[in-house]
Amino acid sequence: MASGRLDAQPYESADLSIEAVSKTFSTRGASTQALASISLKVRRGSFSAIIGPSGCGKSTLLRIVAGLEQPDSGTVLVRNELPQAFRARGELGIAFQDPALLSWRTVRRNVALPLQVLNRPLNSHRQRIDDLIELVGLSGYADALPGQLSGGMRQRVSIARALVTNPSVLLLDEPFGALDQILRRSMSQELQRIWMASPTTTLMVTHSIDEAAFLADQVVVMNSEPGRIVDNIAIPFPRPRAPELLTSPEFHTVCDRLAAALAPRGTQ
Amino acid sequence: MKRESVKAALGLLATLAVWEILGRSIPSVRDLITSPSLILAQYWTDAGLYIPHLLATIRSSALGFIIGNCAGVAAAIVFSRFPAFENAFRGVNIALFAMPAIVVGPILAIIFSDNLPQIILAALVVYFPTMSATLVGLRDIDPRLPDVIHAYGGGSNAILRFVRLRSALPAILAGLRTAAPLSVLGAILGEFGSGVRWGLGSFLLGSLGDADPARLLGIGLAATAVSIAGYAVFSWLGGRMAGASLAVTLAADRSPDQIIPAGRYSWAQRTTLLFVAGMLPFVLWWLTVRISHISPIIAPGPVQTARYLVSGPGSSDARSSLLDALAQTLPLAGLGLVCGIAAAFVVAALTVTSPSVAKIILPVAILLQSMPLIALVPLVLLLFGRGDVASVLISVLVVFFPAFVLLAQGFALVPRAARELVQVYGGGRGKELLLVSVPHAASYLFAAAKLVAPRALLGVMVAEWLLTGKGLGNLLNTSRGLLDYDMVWAGAVISILVAVVAYEAISLVERLSQGLR
Repeated sequence: MASGRLDAQPYESADLSIEAVSKTFSTRGASTQALASISLKVRRGSFSAIIGPSGCGKSTLLRIVAGLEQPDSGTVLVRNELPQAFRARGELGIAFQDPALLSWRTVRRNVALPLQVLNRPLNSHRQRIDDLIELVGLSGYADALPGQLSGGMRQRVSIARALVTNPSVLLLDEPFGALDQILRRSMSQELQRIWMASPTTTLMVTHSIDEAAFLADQVVVMNSEPGRIVDNIAIPFPRPRAPELLTSPEFHTVCDRLAAALAPRGTQ
Repeated sequence: MKRESVKAALGLLATLAVWEILGRSIPSVRDLITSPSLILAQYWTDAGLYIPHLLATIRSSALGFIIGNCAGVAAAIVFSRFPAFENAFRGVNIALFAMPAIVVGPILAIIFSDNLPQIILAALVVYFPTMSATLVGLRDIDPRLPDVIHAYGGGSNAILRFVRLRSALPAILAGLRTAAPLSVLGAILGEFGSGVRWGLGSFLLGSLGDADPARLLGIGLAATAVSIAGYAVFSWLGGRMAGASLAVTLAADRSPDQIIPAGRYSWAQRTTLLFVAGMLPFVLWWLTVRISHISPIIAPGPVQTARYLVSGPGSSDARSSLLDALAQTLPLAGLGLVCGIAAAFVVAALTVTSPSVAKIILPVAILLQSMPLIALVPLVLLLFGRGDVASVLISVLVVFFPAFVLLAQGFALVPRAARELVQVYGGGRGKELLLVSVPHAASYLFAAAKLVAPRALLGVMVAEWLLTGKGLGNLLNTSRGLLDYDMVWAGAVISILVAVVAYEAISLVERLSQGLR
């Protein structure tokens, strides 16, 4: 599957290259164009966020990158490979809005799941699993079941799970979407700390302007009907970004620009 | 919770005390329903008989339980992985769901010897509930989990291994819980057909003539105790291992339509699948008699049986005796079905108007669902004799409990907001029932009818076989005694076909009524 599609230009510094991807869903005769010719490049080792209103196709785009959906036309290359080939080597990490943990497995065994799916020996990864559980701040809970954890803790487990294969590309689909506003802020801090520990090429979908501006190096703004990219804004703040950044005038300028790009055309 | 179980225990003790006093003081009552102490005394006298009979039935039902459940779980895994198999086996599944198990015993006794007929019948009876519960459990998973597995390159096998099998565990345990009492019923019905010496069914058959109430009720209670013990063991295991709840219990009581999705097929594919599904039971029948190397005179295949009924010598006699038997059996089964469901609907409606009643009735009904209908035979015989009333009554009783459990669920699922709307406009309980709850729950009537129609037929046939000496049940029993093998096969096949047609007819009416809405 991997070969044959490589005649497209290889992108040297781009880990992720999305070329003219379109996707239309049709249900009961009515069809919606979820994505209309999307092109996007994500630099190696950078953190990109996609932001947009509900139904703009941002999650669909992420699912296409993960190989969970097929585009109608266009190509997605992850390090010059098709997503299916790339992910089969365990190079892809993914976390969803719903932590999607196996309720009968302990935290440790949930984190280990991708290794088992990839038929990798667990013994040689025990230390890494424990390190990851510590990194997401759950040491002491390694043997707890998901039902015994809070929503925020479960989401940390799913992030540790996404990192367990030491992926070169990390996809986050509204990872904090189900959490309350207060928890989201502290989780953003946590995610930055975790990400800086080993900067992996990351693509995150969110509908929070704050979150996107705080975490990302570039923010891609999408809009709906049809789903398309309307702006691509570089975020200049140096890392590590402190919580005080959230109240600074520079941060608000960036957020205002993002909000303006998100606003429906007539009101701009 | 504790207070309620104390109340229930006190109620049981009070019932036993009243029964004891009545049975001891009024001779005519003693002749009908004896008394608890007399039954216990009879157990003591009959201990030497009970032990081998009980052990034989427990052994057959346990072996059948193991075989049937392994087959059910394996089939569900195959069906969930390859849906085409599920479509191809639809006919087999519906036949196993709808068949009146008592007619299969004599056939199995022709092909197999010793205890195998009982064991196989027990296995056949438990297959469907376990298969359907497992299949539902395997399908009904958190929809996000396949994405997680796919993201690491895992396919359907990995999803089965890491997600589906473990997710299905509570449903499988709920299926086993339903299957445990059924395996006892299957073993006992198999004993009727095979005529073995040992087993509770054989014991009952041999004791019916004397009509000694203490022994008959004792056998019924022993069969009930074994069934409920099986139910309790898996209920406890389910609670321990998976936290299986009441809702999961009900997942095991499904009719085939509820688990078989229509699927998206072209007209030609659908016709082919329908043809395969319809032919497969007959192909399996043909294969079984071929492989068993038994003379076609005692184990005829489908073609030979069709010839016996349609064109062979004496076919008109065979047809007329079958039609006569059907004309006696079907009206009684229909009456039992209608009365049982109507009673269940009324009582289920009462649970809405008085929720405290529901709290008492529902657990009792769930427990009594697992009582083998065989246990009802002695009681009905002693109270109502050997007439058609006995047939209808047994049928009503076996229909009532499962229908009630399902309909009570329907009433419980009436949207609260809709009921409160009526209350806001000053409507009382009666008005709310009439305008909201009854129309809502009525849509569960078809589901209930599909679930219990096969039981209504089985109930009447068991009564005919053991008590009334009429109809299809009796025809099968006498043909078995006369070694009229062609009639045993034809009668069994026609009974199963009638059950399947009745089931499909109810499904059709259900679909038509949905079209009208």
